[in-house]
Amino acid sequence: MPTRSAYLFLLPALLLYLTFVAIPILQIVYFSFFDWDNGIRGGFVGMDNFARLGGDRVFLAALGHNAIWVILTLAFPLMAGLLLAAILAERSNNTRRWLGAIYFMPRTIPLVVAGIIWGWIYNPLFGLLNYILDGVGLGFMAGAWLAEPSSALLSLNVVGAWTFFGFCVVIFLAAIQSIDPSLYEAAEIDGARWWRRFRDITVPLLKNSTLFLGLYAAIEAMRFFDLIWVTTQGGPGYSTEVLTTHIYKTFFLVGDFGYAAVLSVVLLIIVLSLSSITFWLLKSK
Amino acid sequence: MQRLISISVGAILAAGSAAAETAITQWDQFSQSGITAAGPAMDELIATCKPALDGVSVLRTVAPSIGIRDSYRLAVSAGKTPDLAYTWPAASVLAGYARVGALAKLDKYYDQYGWPQVNEFYKGRNSYDGHIYAVPMEQDLMGVYFNRDLFAEKGISVPTTYAEFQAAAEAFKADGIVPVSFGNRDRWPATNTFSLILGLTVGLQAEQDVFFGDTAWTNAGFKQAAENFQAWASDGYFPRGFNGIGYDEANALFLSGRAAMTITGTWVLQDMIRGADKFDMGVFMMPPMADGVAAGTMWGEGSQWQLSSTTSAEGQDAAAAYLNCLLSDESRKVWVQKGHTVTIGTTPEELAEWGADPVVQEFFEGGLATTETNFYDLHTTLPESVTQVLYPELQRLVGGEASADEFLETMQAAWEVAIANGERWIP
Repeated sequence: MPTRSAYLFLLPALLLYLTFVAIPILQIVYFSFFDWDNGIRGGFVGMDNFARLGGDRVFLAALGHNAIWVILTLAFPLMAGLLLAAILAERSNNTRRWLGAIYFMPRTIPLVVAGIIWGWIYNPLFGLLNYILDGVGLGFMAGAWLAEPSSALLSLNVVGAWTFFGFCVVIFLAAIQSIDPSLYEAAEIDGARWWRRFRDITVPLLKNSTLFLGLYAAIEAMRFFDLIWVTTQGGPGYSTEVLTTHIYKTFFLVGDFGYAAVLSVVLLIIVLSLSSITFWLLKSK
Repeated sequence: MQRLISISVGAILAAGSAAAETAITQWDQFSQSGITAAGPAMDELIATCKPALDGVSVLRTVAPSIGIRDSYRLAVSAGKTPDLAYTWPAASVLAGYARVGALAKLDKYYDQYGWPQVNEFYKGRNSYDGHIYAVPMEQDLMGVYFNRDLFAEKGISVPTTYAEFQAAAEAFKADGIVPVSFGNRDRWPATNTFSLILGLTVGLQAEQDVFFGDTAWTNAGFKQAAENFQAWASDGYFPRGFNGIGYDEANALFLSGRAAMTITGTWVLQDMIRGADKFDMGVFMMPPMADGVAAGTMWGEGSQWQLSSTTSAEGQDAAAAYLNCLLSDESRKVWVQKGHTVTIGTTPEELAEWGADPVVQEFFEGGLATTETNFYDLHTTLPESVTQVLYPELQRLVGGEASADEFLETMQAAWEVAIANGERWIP
């Protein structure tokens, strides 16, 4: 096919990309250099808006919470998903299919809905969790899960893990099934027990999937918004504030478009960096 | 939505039938149910006020009361404000819109129509730089809803002093009843409660010294108010986990009969009256919380009508005439009877004459008895940048995460930045 025709076919997609992705991103970067009053653009302020980042304790807290979210996501749903997928892989086709579907189900629930459901579960007045704890004689453990700064972020991360765990199981399961069975058979003949086979065959051969899921989880963790907004709006205080909620408040509630643009640029840089690392690592494998 | 579409389509068709007819776009919060369930009254008044519109039709869009605040700000930034909007808040936020030239000055319409019910307090809250930019309509007051049956059962009288209020709260707590139902997951309810405590601890003048003068937030009176609020939480007046309980859930807790009182405003009067079917509900005004402070309550306009500066002169004239009709004595009666909305200027006697619920009468009788000393609502008075600091800081204060001093120092810092940025509103 002549090169010119190929470009013509690419043109519609390119135009859409420029209109809805590239130009808005450039616009946000442009906005960050101006002063704004109630959404009306004022004068050029150079790097003044960027200089505010260092003194913004909410930004620093939000960045820290995003980092904690990434670490917790990598620590629990990813690792547990890998382990469960390895166990499931040795079960019958039907068991795999059914359990895989059940584990994946929370992934299909919109985060807003998940937030509402778990908001009820955690509710200090009528929450199911406290009710169950009371019922099994663990009433002393009942708490105001989303109302205490010490437990709010962790409690929300459990919801995040609940929605992400099944996705990890399904991806790992598919990857495990693509491993040559003769490797496991040979290991078994050599007397390797399950844990040894998991550690020395499954884990190394799933490196690409783990890498993909890990970085995907990290990117998702940076972009998290709906679950937190529906449940705590970043509170109590700033204990569940993340970059996206800080951006939302600065833009929509305060109307400080310039600083909201700066925060968006920071988020964009972080997400683009993580994406670049993902592509680079996957390409180098 | 269907209703909205039908109203809009109806209006469009009507507009089409008269080629030269002008249309006014209107955004309001009057839905068919919930907090602002005055939709039927609005529909009726549009029809009633048609003659005042002089051939101009109204294209109406209903937005939720919380969302309209954000939608309007975006409309200002896009230069697409509706001709007429019934939105909130006034004071700093309204002043911000006026500052960037988004609103029309209404001085000549005030001269033309008078609108005497809008007193100096409300005029101030709707003014910027010597001009008035909005017509406040809804009368908001803050008070204490209480369960008369529980009070009678425990032999507790309606508190007339702060000490009596504290004694009542302690008595309910001792009996395992939540003294004050309170939920602050939505962040703004604490602002109302603190506004009330602040006004009753320091009084109107001390508030004005800070909001419009040079006194810092870190003064002794404000500190006492912050400590009072914090003490309510630490003394167990609120339900456990209040920072994780929603505003509606807190109201439901009170309506279930498991809490003796809840402190909120007239904006949920109808919901409360409808919901209190298990007990006899009453309302009282919170007594002053410090010696020498006059009785009063937090009051505000709820929302206000404002006109876009981009609307044609003809459209502005028609909209002002229409507003004059919406605020007439006949219309005020419709607002009360069909919209469950008490407009500014409505007296307790009129409420009785128009058959308003006794709780409504009780509330307004109490709140309007202290018009000279009623005080400000923080989150409709402070600039948005300060309000967005106030919300989380109050969660920290009442949750015991920050001391009164830390809270006030943070507020003072945000206040200074807002003043430096020219965001402070002074009536």
